[in-house]
Parts: sequence; structure tokens; C-alpha cells
Amino acid sequence: MSHFIDRLLFFKRNVETFSGDHGVVTNESRRWEDGYRKRWQHDKVVRSTHGVNCTGSCSWKIYVKGGIVTWETQQTDYPRTRPDLPNHEPRGCPRGASYSWYIYSGSRVKYPLVRGALLRLWREARASMRPVEAWASITADPAKAKAYKSIRGLGGFVRASWDEVNEIVAAANVHTIKTYGPDRIMGFSPIPAMSMVSYAAGARYLSLIGGVCLSFYDWYCDLPPASPQIWGEQTDVPESADWYNSNFLILWGSNVPQTRTPDAHFYSEVRYKGAKSVVITPDYSEAAKFSDLWLAPKQGTDSALAMALGHVILKEFHLGQSKSAYFEDYCRRYSDMPLLVRLARRGDHYVPERFVRASDFSGHLGQANNPEWKAVGIDEASGDVALPNGSVGFRWGEKGKWNIEQKDARSGAEIRLRLSLIDHRDAVVGVAFPYFGGIEHEYFANNPHPEVLVRNLPARKLVLADGEALVVTVFDLLAANYGVDRGLGGANVASSFDQDVPYTPAWQEKITGVKAADVITVARQFAENADRTQGRSMVIIGAGMNHWYHMDMNYRAIINMLVMCGCIGKSGGGWAHYVGQEKLRPQSGWVPFTFALDWIRPSRQMNGTSFFYAHTGQWRHEKLAVREILSPLADPEEFKGSLIDFNVMAERMGWLPSAPQLEVNPLELVRQARAAGKDPKDYAVEALKSGQLRMSCEDPDDPRNFPRNMFVWRSNLLGSSGKGHEYFLKYLLGTQNGVMNDDLAAGGGDKPLEVAWHERAPEGKLDLLVTLDFRMSSTCLYSDIVLPTATWYEKNDLNTSDMHPFIHPFSRAVDPAWEARSDWDIYKGFAAKLSELSEGHLGVEGDLVLTPIMHDTPGELAQALEVKDWKKGEIEAVPGRTMPVMTVVERDYPNTYRRFTALGPLMSRLGNGGKGLSWNTEDEVRALGELNRLVEEDGPTKGLPRIDTDIDAAETILMLAPETNGHVAVKAWEALSGFTGREHAHLALHREDEKIRFRDIQAQPRKIISSPIWSGLESEKVSYNACYTNVHELIPWRTLTGRQQFYQDHKWMRGFGEALCVYRPPIDTKTIKPIIDAKANGDPQLVLNWITPHQKWGIHSTYTDNLLMLTLSRGGPIVWIAEKDAAKAGIEDNDWIEVYNANGAIAARAVVSQRVKEGMCMMYHAQEKTVNTPGAETTGLRGGIHNSVTRICPKPTHMIGGYAQLSYGFNYYGTVGANRDDFVVLRKMRKVEWLEAERAAEEV
Amino acid sequence: MLTFKVLAALLDYPGSATIAALPEMRAILAGEGKLDGLAVDRLFAFMYKLEQGDLLDQQAAWVDLFDRTRSLSLHLFEHVHGDSRDRGQAMVDLAALYADRGLTIDASELPDYLPLFLEFLSLIPESEARQLLGETVHVVEALAERLAGRGSDHAILLSALASLAEAPAPAQPLATPDTDGDLDAAWQEEEIRFAAGAMPSACGAAGTGT
Repeated sequence: MSHFIDRLLFFKRNVETFSGDHGVVTNESRRWEDGYRKRWQHDKVVRSTHGVNCTGSCSWKIYVKGGIVTWETQQTDYPRTRPDLPNHEPRGCPRGASYSWYIYSGSRVKYPLVRGALLRLWREARASMRPVEAWASITADPAKAKAYKSIRGLGGFVRASWDEVNEIVAAANVHTIKTYGPDRIMGFSPIPAMSMVSYAAGARYLSLIGGVCLSFYDWYCDLPPASPQIWGEQTDVPESADWYNSNFLILWGSNVPQTRTPDAHFYSEVRYKGAKSVVITPDYSEAAKFSDLWLAPKQGTDSALAMALGHVILKEFHLGQSKSAYFEDYCRRYSDMPLLVRLARRGDHYVPERFVRASDFSGHLGQANNPEWKAVGIDEASGDVALPNGSVGFRWGEKGKWNIEQKDARSGAEIRLRLSLIDHRDAVVGVAFPYFGGIEHEYFANNPHPEVLVRNLPARKLVLADGEALVVTVFDLLAANYGVDRGLGGANVASSFDQDVPYTPAWQEKITGVKAADVITVARQFAENADRTQGRSMVIIGAGMNHWYHMDMNYRAIINMLVMCGCIGKSGGGWAHYVGQEKLRPQSGWVPFTFALDWIRPSRQMNGTSFFYAHTGQWRHEKLAVREILSPLADPEEFKGSLIDFNVMAERMGWLPSAPQLEVNPLELVRQARAAGKDPKDYAVEALKSGQLRMSCEDPDDPRNFPRNMFVWRSNLLGSSGKGHEYFLKYLLGTQNGVMNDDLAAGGGDKPLEVAWHERAPEGKLDLLVTLDFRMSSTCLYSDIVLPTATWYEKNDLNTSDMHPFIHPFSRAVDPAWEARSDWDIYKGFAAKLSELSEGHLGVEGDLVLTPIMHDTPGELAQALEVKDWKKGEIEAVPGRTMPVMTVVERDYPNTYRRFTALGPLMSRLGNGGKGLSWNTEDEVRALGELNRLVEEDGPTKGLPRIDTDIDAAETILMLAPETNGHVAVKAWEALSGFTGREHAHLALHREDEKIRFRDIQAQPRKIISSPIWSGLESEKVSYNACYTNVHELIPWRTLTGRQQFYQDHKWMRGFGEALCVYRPPIDTKTIKPIIDAKANGDPQLVLNWITPHQKWGIHSTYTDNLLMLTLSRGGPIVWIAEKDAAKAGIEDNDWIEVYNANGAIAARAVVSQRVKEGMCMMYHAQEKTVNTPGAETTGLRGGIHNSVTRICPKPTHMIGGYAQLSYGFNYYGTVGANRDDFVVLRKMRKVEWLEAERAAEEV
Repeated sequence: MLTFKVLAALLDYPGSATIAALPEMRAILAGEGKLDGLAVDRLFAFMYKLEQGDLLDQQAAWVDLFDRTRSLSLHLFEHVHGDSRDRGQAMVDLAALYADRGLTIDASELPDYLPLFLEFLSLIPESEARQLLGETVHVVEALAERLAGRGSDHAILLSALASLAEAPAPAQPLATPDTDGDLDAAWQEEEIRFAAGAMPSACGAAGTGT
């Protein structure tokens, strides 16, 4: 039989099994693959990122199909780094990867919302009145005002049209400006770097109408005042790639793998390269797992540990067997160690006073210009007094000598300054130092020693204009302060690390619990590495360290170590603090646009902390007396008053900003002055001097001084950063709150001296709170008007970070969903409506603007030697010198919209600049006009460059900034050369023709251009590292001495005991005793330190309401406690607990973990009140947020101004909202009450 | 079937235009007769309350219910896909269905917004509409139950709607647990078990050898 027919010629049959029946062929449908294929189909991929305010600045691909965002993935096209350095990518983290959830989630704000009670009043009033009159009628009627204020936070929102909300907002603004003054309109928005145009939208609107932008960095308490104190610079830090250049990394309080996820790989990688890592955290954090050695000091005692490390370094590497020539040379050139300090006689010993100045000598050392602002040292060769270049006195009023070449300013001769006088002394004298480590605290161990420690110092006699004086060097002061025995005899110094003398390793062990031997090991290795590598030892510091009341001691003690070891300004070395500010790299292009300096100079700004302290009534509950924090060496008579009194003094002396500024409407004041034929400034000064006119800060509870309108955008002020949350609710908003303590009236206690006391405190100061957000945050719940904004995939914007040198776009992948609009469009809408409604109410108006004495201006040389208060008649009242700067500006209210959308004429007329530099920018204005086109409509803006869209706004920033426009960079460096007398333009010449445009960065992130606005370089040779140009280009630090300052000689610094760094224990906030018994329910109660670090499931880029992220945790508010503490109180993991103190209460679940140190508990920052939060038993109200148990105490040393680096700058210096010293009572909750009755009204 | 349109209007955020159109809606409901008498009576009562009540109060109540309560969202895919990435694709598919019928979304709403979907149903042949509704009726029923549990009048709109569905798809658990009850139960995850029987049978068969 033929097999031909059966045999297949062209086919083979499907086999069923193969490989000896181990393989099987199946024929199921493969249609499932279509699902997968479809999933990866899309119409377009758009580049965007996430802000506010994650530092990540990570590039993401946003996939869009059918006009809908379907998902996002990490973009991987960063420009490559150098051959010896790992690449930046992949950047991103789970928070970013789940962001698109927000766009279509139930938490999205979809329509403009107004609280129904307010809208009803508005519509009723509008039926018979025009808008401004309608608003006036509502706010003037106490019953009506209370009707909508007292139910803030209780739901009841209804939708309104954009036209209607714009009209309400504009009417409220016009009424407020006309009746009380434009400085009663406040705006709060943080971290502009993370979406610059969106921040600028609100700030430009406010600045045009005379409103006030509140600072955020200080308020968050992420602003380290130590940075300006030491460097005259705020938070300039190495990029994360520079970690890879380090050989010894200390992570101190920083949790890099958890909170800096996209950058953490550099930390892992450098460990493979052989770098050593020490992690210092009280809890066993994720970072601790990366360490070669983990040190766990008692929380809040870090400065004791750092001082002991400094003691070892000074003793061995500056004075002892391991003496480093590198350290010595570095400190001589770049620090104030060799400069001279006067001693003042105090009984049988001396106290260190201020730096010796050229003005102290007869003839002023030949200095006609600013002699009182020039510090001196001793030249080693001649033994004579030398006047080194670089002091701030050389910066202003003369040219070419503001540099840190080792030269005498008089002759130009080379000098070598003497660090110590020990071998050339005229005397050995006892000098007194304050000691705070003996202060008793219920929950912190002390180490008793006398509160004044006298130590012997080598001193030299100098003949000064006022007679013979004893002087010492800062180096000798420092060695004595650290308790290092120099062989001069006397007490309070240690010759061995085992002696219990401040600040030895043995001494600190009693306070921190860290073994002395570990301290010695770490100090030696840290310093040895720095010596051998010329500075490649780095400290990555976590801002939690900065949240203690005495944060400056934590930071200064660590920075001191870094300066002693020559690590600052060196690749792979230095101080790395990455929280809260983020680097707004094209800053000087952004500032004029944002604060409308193209139209009006100056703008109004206010430091957030002092503002909130005064206007949320937290000062009315102040429990911290000034005497508790004063130096034992200070004269209490010179430092009388309460904390707010010091703030008031600082405001009237022009040290800190002040807004609302005067009890009279500044528009009215100008009118009055002009009617009287007087200059408004003279008129105001006279009225202030005579007492006819008071500053608002002297009576914050007088209705004339209330902040009236407030905008919050890009921020969750009340859910995240509102320290003293319950006080916000009570005083600022006037709604239900959980404050559980009496104010000073009922509680007894010292009333302030400078501030009027009202027995009955006002509640509900704000007439209107407007919040712009894309999600229904806790802040939105309390607002009168909630406006839906575009998400980060629905708008065009710019984004930069301090973590890497690239500039990023946000891109409008899709149109804003529902009725949402971008922040830019929303504020444009306000501007248009306000222009319209101001007709008949406001025209072209003169406005008297008070600004503080600013850092980086000639004004920073205000009071060199003394602190004198004009109000007390101690000195003449001179604006800009002894009181705030006063400027009369012209506002044109009917043209607000036109001004908003065009670049004003002052850029061409007055130029641009930053950090004390200025340059002509006419070329850029012309080029911008060509790029954005010119305004064609007739009117005051005709012919000016247009800024209509958010992209126009971005182009404006990019065009004007040196970091994104090479021509401007070269001009800026040349401007700096005028000050320093040195050539710097070479740092930018190779990129002069480069202009980074918005479409460029949409194509790929672009590396910015080096500019003198920053102290590091962007180049192919080095990673960005702060202070690099100070060290390598000999540009002075912007301090009094032009050097890094160990010594802070301002009178208030000395008065509060912080001229030199010392250990200071946490303060007693007194929030437990008054309440623990009264609120007891019979269950065991724990008293624990309240720590609020950043988390894994909801850092800023996705807040703690993203259900994707919450699913990975416990799904609601949680507090971490130690196993041992939990056992004491019978708490098991996942139990509901209540946390409370005199400030308020929180309901949460317990996470019981070995990770946590006994005696502390941790609630991750910013867990929303909106998600799964039951009622608290103590208050009977829904549990609060992590700030419900906090209240801030400002610190007087942060109020200093008009004094070189200690001069005000927005987000640069000022009071900060410390919150780590607080304690809470924690106990198991008996009954979980979801407050169902309220549920319909107050949504969960 | 215009009854869908009426339910769409009543379910949507209330406004003065809705109230003005109530007589027309009553006429449609009565005229079409697609709902049983009891349902129509209840709807008339709902309309009467809407007419007589304070509009701002009703609007505020609507926002609290539907905008601010995830488990009551009127966006169907919130309940079907929840936080899953499938949701984006599902919306794209739904919009494509509308486009197939020559309809483009002209409001600031997503394709899965229930009133929008109901308007679509009112524009297509009734039998097809009832079938399409059947695919999603388990969400509608769950919403009706949740609203009834909260004592909301809106429950009757959803139960009336549910009665119009044909060939209902088997009910699926919703992606939006109603956490009014036991929060822990809602968040509890199934323990994953690797049982022997879970192995693919084909390989099992091959492994035994034949």
C-alpha cells in the first residue's frame, strides 16, 4: 500500500507531546495577549514629574489614551554622568508611580466649591447689592460672619461656577484692601522649586495687589538657622551624585532609603566602592540597616554626641598626635578660627564679647569705609594686627577687596593668620562659658556641672581706641569651649576622654547613652579619612534634627566637625541637608517674575512662623519663659519680656518682616500724608515715634490688625504643616477645636510687655480662606472656598531639586479633568475680576510698604556694635537702619490683570540680579518679547513681552535666569568680579550661547549652567557641592567675617548662650502635667516624646490619602511605639489608641515595634484627617492630625536682623516652628467612636 | 427610553434647571410606564421633596454623599476597578462605545459617570440599553443598598434603575468596600495558599507519562 497519499508534503500534524511526554502542546486561545498589548498602546507619552514638594524631581512618562491618563512609568533618558560616576536613573518611587490615581479618584476636587452657608449669604446680599458691598455687608454683621465661620470643617459644600467664585474672591479682596489695607491679604504656598509657575501665579497676583506672601521653610522648621549663621547662605548642599565621591558618610537623623528613594542608589553604590557609613538615629530606621556602625543616641541629645566628636577631633587632629596640616591650613584660610574676639571683665574672670573690628583701633586701621564691619587677626610673620580681606565691610561701599585671598587689605601683602595665641600670649585668663547640660528635665538625663564653666585661655593685650583690651582667637575659644586641656591649668578641661568634663566622650555617654568608645572610634575615622582625602567626609543630616527647639546646637555641632576637618566646599564632603527648601535653580529669573518686581519694588513678604504664632493665638498660651533659655552669663534685666515681645522688638527694629504692618491702612496713610503735604515715610516715622501710630504686631488681637483673606495653594497647611493645629482652628478660623488649656488670662502667667492683652480673645480672624487643590485635603475641609486645580499631569510648569542638577518640566498631558484649572489660570481669573471690581473702589493708589533690613543688601550693615531700640529712645528712628525700610509704591488696581500678563518695564529700567549682584537685562527682555510676542492691545502694557500662558511664564523664568541662559550667567559672574576683584567668568564662558527653553526640557532634562547665585559648580569635572566656589574661587562666605563662623558675636547670641556651640537639652513645653490627671480614664497612660518623621507610604509627592499606598500600610493614622512601652500600657499591635496633651488630641492605631526607642513615639508626618479617623475620647471630636498636640515656641536668636549674615531673607533666616520637644500622653482607646451622626456633615 | 434620561437628571447634581424640568419628567415617567407603580410613586415623592426643599441644602447633601464618599461614588469604575490601572483602559473603551454611536462627551465628566451613562442608554435601542445596564447593575444595586442604609432618598432612584436591567451579570465584589461596618474586615486580605491541586492540569497529565 502506498503511503504517498497519507504522507503530508506541506504540513506536519500538531504534535501533542514531546520530550518524552514531558512537553505538551496546547491550543488555547491567545486572545488574552490582546489585553496586554492594548495595555501598552497609547496615543502619546508626555514627560512630567511630581511637586509639591518631594525633592525627587524625577522624570516620568505619562501615558495618554483617548484623552485619559492611563498610567505612568519612570523615564530613563537622563543625560549621562561622567564615566567614573553611576547614572542618575532610574529615578522614582512607589509614591510617584501611584500618582495618576489621584486624577480620577474620589478624593479629586472636581468643581469650585463654596460652603453652603456662605453662598446663601452671598446670593442673598448680591440680590440687592453690588459685589464689594455684598461682601462688606456679610463680614460687617457678626451674626452672619459667625454663621459661616463657626461651621468651618463641618462640610456643607455646594458647587459654584467659576464666575461666581471669582466674584466672591475679588470682592473680598477689594473690600479688604479698601477697608483694612492690602497687607491684610495673605498667601501661603511652599517649595516653589517643585512647581515654580504655579507658585508664581499666586505670588504675582498678591504682589501686584500688595498682599503678603508667607514664608514656609522656616515655618516647616526644615530651615536650619545654623546654615545662615555659619555661612550666610541657606541650604546649599551637594547633589546626591556627590555622595558617590565621599569616602566616609554619616547619616545623621536622615533616612535616605525611605525618604530619598530615587537618590538612595548613590548611597548603596558608594558603599560598594568601599566608603564607610555610620548611621546615627534613635530608632532602628531603614537607613540603620545600611550602616557599618549604628549609633542610637537618646532622641534630642544629638548635639551632646556631636560636641564629643568635636572634642576628639580638636584634641587629636588639631592639637595632638594626629595633627593635620590640611585641617590647619583649611581652617586658617576658610574659617574665623584665627580672628580676634574681645574679652570683657566680669568679676574675677572674663566673658567673650564681640569680634575686634577695625573701628576699635584709633585711626580705624586706615579704613574710611565700614571700619566697624571689618574683623582682624594677627599675622604670624610680623606678630602685628592684620586686616584680612573678605569681611562684609569690604563687600559694600568699595570694590575689589571682597575676597578671601590671604592678604592684608591695607597693603595687599600676603599674610598668614595666627590660629592660637598660646605661644605668643600676654596672659592666661579665666574665661566663662555657659553650661546647660545640667538642667533637669523629667524625661532627659542631665549631667550636672556648674552652669558657668571658667576655663583658662591664652590672651593678648591690644591697645585699642578705648584703651587696652584683652583679646583671644576663636580657635582658642573653641578649644576651651570643647573642654580640651591645653596645659594652661584651671578647671573644666579634660586631658583624657574618660574624664566626665563637658564635652568629652565620657561626659556625653550620661546624656546620650552612646558608648564613649564608639564616639572616639567614629571621630577618629571621620577625621582621618578627611585628612587623607582632603575633605571627603560627609554628613547627610535629617531635618528631624532641626525640629528641636535648640536645633542650632545640633546643626552647628555637626557643621563644626565638618569645618574642623576641612570638608566644606570639597567634593564628596560637607553638609547635606535635603529637606523642605529644595533648590530653585533658576532663582533670579523666577524672583522678579514671581514677586512682580517687573512692576513694583519691593514686594511684601512675611515670615510664616512669627505670623502664625501671633495670629493663631499660640502666643496667648506661651508657657516658655525667656529666663528658662537665657544664658547664665546674661543680665536678665537686658532681656525682659516674653517670646512675642522679642518678636515685636525685632519687627520694629527692622530685623524681621511685619505684616499686617501698621494699624492704619497703608493706602489711607499715604493719602493722609499727602493731604498734609508730607512725605509718607516721614509722616509714618513721626507718627510711630510719637506713639500716635502703632505697628500691628503690638496688638494682633485688635480687629484692625487681623489678617482678613488668605489663599492657600500647593499646600496642605492645616493637614500637614499647621503646628498648633487646634489653635489655628480656634483663633484664626473660629471653629470647633480641641485646645485643652487656658491662655495666660485664665491660666495666670506673665503677660507680654510689648503686646496689648485682650481678655477676650478674638476667634475667627479670617473672613475668607480660599484653598486651591486637586484633592480634598484637610485644609480644603476647613476652607470657605475650595477650587479645583490641575494635577501634575494637567499643567505646564518647571521643577528643580537640590538632589540633581537637571531642570524638569511638568507637561499638560491631558486637559484638567472636570472643572479644574491650572493655578496660573485660576489667579489670572482673580486678577481679571479684581481689575473689574476695583472700579469705583480702588484706582491708582500709593501704598507704604514696610520691609525688613535684607541680607545681601548694603542695609545688612545696620547696628554693628550694639542693639538699640528707637522705641525706648536709645537711638534715632531711621528707616532701613534702626527700623524697617519704608517705600511708597504705586499700585494700579484696575490694571492688575494687564500687569499680571505682561513683563513690566522695571526689568529694562532697573535690571535684574540676586544675592547682592545686579546686571543689565535689556537683551533678555528683548529676546523674551520676540519669543512670547508683544502685547498688542492698547493700554499700559502695550509693547511689553506677553505672559499669557503657563508656558510663557516658564519661558520668562528660563530667559531671565543665569542658570538657564548662558549670556546671563556670564553677566552675573562678571558682576561678582566687581566685588571680589577676581576673574570668575571662565566658569560659564564655555556655555555662554546656551539658552534652555521649555521645549528643550520636555525633550530631555537639561543640566543647568553654573552661576554665582549658588556656591557650587555644574561641570563635567565635579559634582555639585556647596561652598565649592568659596573654597576654589576665594569668594567670601556672605557672613560678617567673610569666613565660616564658629563664633556668633551678636549681643542676643551671647545673651542666649549660643555665641559658641553648646549642648542644650530639650525645653519643657509643660503640656502634660496640667491635663494628665484630669483626662485620665483609669487605663495605664504613657508619657512619650512626640516624633513626627517622614514616611514611606505618603511623603509629599503622594499625600497620605492615596489608597494604593495606604493599602501597603495600615490604612489610616498610626503611631509607632516601643514594645516595652506597649507592654506597660497593655497595648497590642493595631489597637486603637488616643494621644493627647494640653494642645489637643489624636486618635490612631498603634504599631508596636522593636524599631522604636523606649520613651518616644512616632507619628509619620501629615496623615490626613480625611481617612479612617475616629473620634478622640478626650475632646469628643474627630481625632486630630499630628500637629494637634503641638504648639510652637519661637526663639529670640532667630529674630536677630540687620547684622550681616543674621539679616532677614525670605526662607533664609527667621523664627522657626520647632515641634520635637513636645510630649504626649498615650493610652489605649476604650471605645472606637466613628461619630456617625456627624458623618454626613463632616466627611471621612 | 427616556426614563433613563429622567433618572440621569434626578441622580445628577441638583440644579434649578432640573427643578424646572420636573413636570416634564413626571409626564415621561407616567407616559412611558417602564417602572412599576410603586417606583413611580416614590419617584414622584422624591421630586416633590426636591421641588419643595431648599436647593442649597440639597446640593450640599449631594456633595457630601456623592463627591465626598468613595463608597457612594457615581463613577461606575470606582466600584469596578477601584485603584487598578485597568480603570484607565476601561474608560477609554467606554468612550469608544459612545463614539461608535456618534456621541462625544461634551461635559466636564468622565465616561463612567452614571448619569452620563444613563443619558447614553436613553439614546440607544431599549433592549440593548437594558442589556448594557445589566452588565453593571450589581454596582447600581449595591449603591441602592448603601444609600438606603444611610437613609438617603436617592436609594429609590437606584433601585428603580436596577429594575430596568435585563440579563444581569453575576455580581462581583465591589472595589469600594463600605467601611461603615468593620474597617478591619474590609481591609483584610485573603491569605494566599499554594495547594497541590493548583498546578496546571496539562503539565500534571504530561508528568504522569502515557
